[in-house]
Amino acid sequence: MKHVTIPSGASLPELYRQWAGDYPKFFKMDTLSKLGFLLTEMLVAGEEGRFTPREDRAVLVFSREGCLANDRHYAASMADFPSPALFVYTLPNIVTGEIAIRNKYAGETSAFLMDGLNQSLLWDTVRQSFQDPVTQSAIVAWINCPSDTEWEAQAWLIERNDLM
Amino acid sequence: MTKVYCIGCGVVTPVGNSPETVLAAVREGRTALRLYQDTPEPYMASLLSREGFSGPSFLEHIARQAAWSAIVAAGIDPAGPRVGLVLSTIKGNVEQIGQADVSLAASANRLAQALGVKTAPLVVSNACISGLAALLQGMRMIRSGDYDHVIVIGAEVQSRFIVTGFQSLKALSLEPCKPFDAARDGLNLGEAAAAMVLSATPHSAAEIYCSDSFPKNQFSATNAWELVSGAVRNDANHISGPSRTGEGSYNALRCVLKGVDPEELAFVNVHGTATRYNDQMEAIALNRAGLQNVPVNALKGVFGHTMGAAGILESILSMYACDAGIILPTQGFSQMGVDPAVNVSEQERKTDKMAFVKLLSGFGGVNGALLFRKGGAQ
Amino acid sequence: MDQLITELKLKVIDALNLEGMTPEDMDDNAPLFGDEGLGLDSIDVLELIVLLEKNYGIRLKTPAEGKEVFKSIAVMADYVAANRTK
Repeated sequence: MKHVTIPSGASLPELYRQWAGDYPKFFKMDTLSKLGFLLTEMLVAGEEGRFTPREDRAVLVFSREGCLANDRHYAASMADFPSPALFVYTLPNIVTGEIAIRNKYAGETSAFLMDGLNQSLLWDTVRQSFQDPVTQSAIVAWINCPSDTEWEAQAWLIERNDLM
Repeated sequence: MTKVYCIGCGVVTPVGNSPETVLAAVREGRTALRLYQDTPEPYMASLLSREGFSGPSFLEHIARQAAWSAIVAAGIDPAGPRVGLVLSTIKGNVEQIGQADVSLAASANRLAQALGVKTAPLVVSNACISGLAALLQGMRMIRSGDYDHVIVIGAEVQSRFIVTGFQSLKALSLEPCKPFDAARDGLNLGEAAAAMVLSATPHSAAEIYCSDSFPKNQFSATNAWELVSGAVRNDANHISGPSRTGEGSYNALRCVLKGVDPEELAFVNVHGTATRYNDQMEAIALNRAGLQNVPVNALKGVFGHTMGAAGILESILSMYACDAGIILPTQGFSQMGVDPAVNVSEQERKTDKMAFVKLLSGFGGVNGALLFRKGGAQ
Repeated sequence: MDQLITELKLKVIDALNLEGMTPEDMDDNAPLFGDEGLGLDSIDVLELIVLLEKNYGIRLKTPAEGKEVFKSIAVMADYVAANRTK
């Protein structure tokens, strides 16, 4: 089981240049999606067959605030010219979609919200997701982003065996 | 694999507050869809009346109402240690953004408290498939062996935030939407709450479906609706446009149809938002999955897109329709506008089959399918 | 017109989060969409529609109209010059 973290307030453009550098769409993402994208890069960099489409890896993102930091930006734009580019990120699950698109993960993607990092609820939910017989591994992330400059961000790459 | 049953339902919609009255409304072609002018640009929507309501959260109010109906129908004690709660909502209390804590987790906590649920609630927020994903989550919780019952609630209210957002995407139609129709030009927004109590046992302490429309003897212990299997799959293509080949939708269908003969299905109740892209994508997915002859229907011409409530509301109506031996009409459809075609109709049709698939898609490239089968039917 | 073209390039770079790009990097006549171009997508079209209204008072109704107007920076500039109300 691999585990990675991104310290609160770290420079995300820096981390992007270090871990990816080849994906300009990164700069359109909201902070939640950037964090999810980078955590996944850190987990699967150098993995063999990395960009081969697969259905057997789930992406499960847990949070408390979800995409609220971006929602506030959208609400501000609403005052005169609502921004479609901001609106598309006003969903807590878009981060899972960005990870899926980048890595060609055609399996299950889900976003869950709970009141703080409840470890037993989180890992119970992860274990339950493996009831889908196709799922053999999962990117699991806790990303809580109350603003664009401070967060809790950690992720794991879990194999089915790890949960036995 | 442990079987999972629905033992109680509750709904709050602009055309009725019980599954029976809503079913009758849909059969009569009624809808609350109308034009609203309270944003800079007008929009067509099906909204609930807030008359007489004065609490802090209309969303939590309707969610509570739907949940109570389901809990009473199921006859369970929500405070039991093996009763879980899953909430499906996409934007929750977002209309209060800037004035209050609008986190979905806080809403779930307050709901759990109001309903007397003691276990930690979970929010599933997976765009437009949330309701279906929440049902799948409830199924998994029961199959884990840790829960005997799970209350699954879906609820959504509309707001300037959501309306202006969809307007900026140019996704809305100013007319009642036309699923699969050649002239379809976008979706309508809707509000509703819907809840199911899921159970490891097929009968409830209260008498299920006990009403004048549904005589008791139709519903013995072996006759409850079973949630057989579900799957969520990502297109891995684009965050707001569906895959042109219906990749995720097809994969989700493939999963739930494993070992199932399409002949068994009364219908597939689809997403059918009436955008140019969604309906075309679903048509492709259905055909790829070998379902081109299975009757298809869509209910967003009645309720609009109720977002977090859709997966649960549309599934409840599908169960009740199947019990009544009918396939509900697809309001708004008149001329085939997708290629390959799908077996959709604006008329009510009859069926004697007792299984159906619920299909949905959402932003973030997500797609979900869930197979329902009447217990005792094979 | 040169000034409008540079101004448009700066606004497009900003509105579409085209990190690290400068007006000098953008060819006036290069297609904005499609693989040969900047690879912009459907959300970018919608965002450019907002850009036109916000800055120049021009209201496009549909993404389809947008695809024509946003063929290249030069085409955009001509359209803005001819239709601006701000």
